[in-house]
Amino acid sequence: MKNNNDSNLIRSKLKKIKDKSIDKLRILTVIFAVFIAFFPFLWILMTSFKLPGEIQSLPPSIIFRPTLVNFQAIIDENFFKYLRNSIILTTSGVSLSMLLGVPAAYGLSKLKIPFKNGILFFILTLRFVPYIVFAIPIFMIFVELGLVGTRIGVIFVYILINLPLITWLMKNFFDEIPEELADAAKVDGANIFQIFYKVYLPNSKAGIACVLILSFVFTWNEYLFALILSGRDAQPLTVGLTQFLGGIEYGVQWGALSAWSFSLVFPVVTISLFVNKYLRKGFAGGMS
Amino acid sequence: MNIINKCKKTITKTIFIIPSLIALGAVAVYPLIYAIRSSFHDWNLHRPDASRFIGINNYIRLFNDFTFTNSLTITLIYTLITVTGTMVLGFLLALLLQKPFKGVNLARALLTVPMIMTQVVIGLGFRVFIWEPDYGLVNWLLDLINISGPAWVSQIPYAFIAAAITHIWFMTPLVMIIMDASLANIPDNIQDATKIDGASYWQRIFYVIIPMLKKTIIFTILLRITIDFRMFDIIHVLTGGGPGRSTQLLSVWVYNQALRAHNLGYANSGALLMMVIIALICGTITYWGLLKGGPES
Repeated sequence: MKNNNDSNLIRSKLKKIKDKSIDKLRILTVIFAVFIAFFPFLWILMTSFKLPGEIQSLPPSIIFRPTLVNFQAIIDENFFKYLRNSIILTTSGVSLSMLLGVPAAYGLSKLKIPFKNGILFFILTLRFVPYIVFAIPIFMIFVELGLVGTRIGVIFVYILINLPLITWLMKNFFDEIPEELADAAKVDGANIFQIFYKVYLPNSKAGIACVLILSFVFTWNEYLFALILSGRDAQPLTVGLTQFLGGIEYGVQWGALSAWSFSLVFPVVTISLFVNKYLRKGFAGGMS
Repeated sequence: MNIINKCKKTITKTIFIIPSLIALGAVAVYPLIYAIRSSFHDWNLHRPDASRFIGINNYIRLFNDFTFTNSLTITLIYTLITVTGTMVLGFLLALLLQKPFKGVNLARALLTVPMIMTQVVIGLGFRVFIWEPDYGLVNWLLDLINISGPAWVSQIPYAFIAAAITHIWFMTPLVMIIMDASLANIPDNIQDATKIDGASYWQRIFYVIIPMLKKTIIFTILLRITIDFRMFDIIHVLTGGGPGRSTQLLSVWVYNQALRAHNLGYANSGALLMMVIIALICGTITYWGLLKGGPES
């Protein structure tokens, strides 16, 4: 009997030791994964502050004297023109889509609208169609209308990227708000616009923040439509980046490429790290 | 009077969605109709006045066009590899995050970075810093263990492998986020109950957790498949579809047909066929996995 107790004790102690070492292994694996996920960003960050001669040294130099020559180089390559385009395209594209999408989501969530399920299915489908299917005919239409190379055209097309996402996610957020909240306002004789504006909007701030971040990220990063439609004058940073690939004659301009990449990635990565909870909620919620 | 009132009410309600529907009609439905129309025409950018109706000839041509069937095969293999890779890695990562430890939320945040990064930057960055044959990181690491690496993005079949790995790096966080959220939603008492039954960790995962998450897993697979078919940016700057046509996914094929060869009608027929193929794949998976109940239930 005593013997049995002892062996049990030893067994539970052994199990504890095993659990602890498994825990350590688990955390080490996470650290390794974090390193793999994050180091390309760090790499670009470091490279963009290195002198051109240092960039290609292997093993990579971790300690170096930071320099701004690469940033000077991209400013000489019209960086600010592209930046301006990126900012205009993103802010206009996102706000236009929000203005259209949030009320639509409210309507689809809380109001009795004819063909509601059909509309929801249509919006869901749009999220899954490859962009190239739309990109080519839109290009053809834009050629006819003379819209290729205009910012207004690209902004308009960014509705296609953002609106289905915003509507779908915001509908889920509105669904979670109980309708009883609006009862008091209804008794006071508020109409559906007032109820939307005074009751539902203030109660869905988290949802709006979440949707805003997601569509900002998608629009800022957009490349395909901008590549096809922005012509020469409306190109955002994403399209401008490819100029540093050079050809066989010039070779890759590593330093400028890194500085440009860093400027492009920095805003989205910083924002996503600060508001990561919202972001994850958005991506996970986009599923249901 | 009553009917008029009702109509008025419905109209006020639809004001919320009408602008959206008009906008989507203009940027989605109209282009789609335009694409369908042009897919029945021989429509070349160089001869805009000479576009002529040719019926389903574009579609017949697709099936006899080696470049198209090649792209279709490549896309299917690519999708299979990257969807499997991201699903397995993303799920394992999410499992690792279930037991809280110090800094777990920071780890979560840093792990989402690949998915947030601009795809063009990923494509170019991996091309010039990771896969570059002489100065790239991978070949340097291989060199340390005395293997001389290939010229990744300009050599068959390594370009395909490099593209797939890059894509898996990019999309694993998405699966991780979704799985992380749904694993956290599983009530503790279910976990405890199976623990008392003496089931091992992996038995619990395979026989309890995965069947419970079946619906989410299938939705995630569907989402991942559609993202793969959509994939353009990374491939376009990483390999440009080359070398040869070894990484020319369908999106890139359509782009090249339309904007390099200027066969707009033909490109659209390929794009529309691609859309039908995704719909068939997703429909089959939905039917098999969700409606029919699948193998285990």
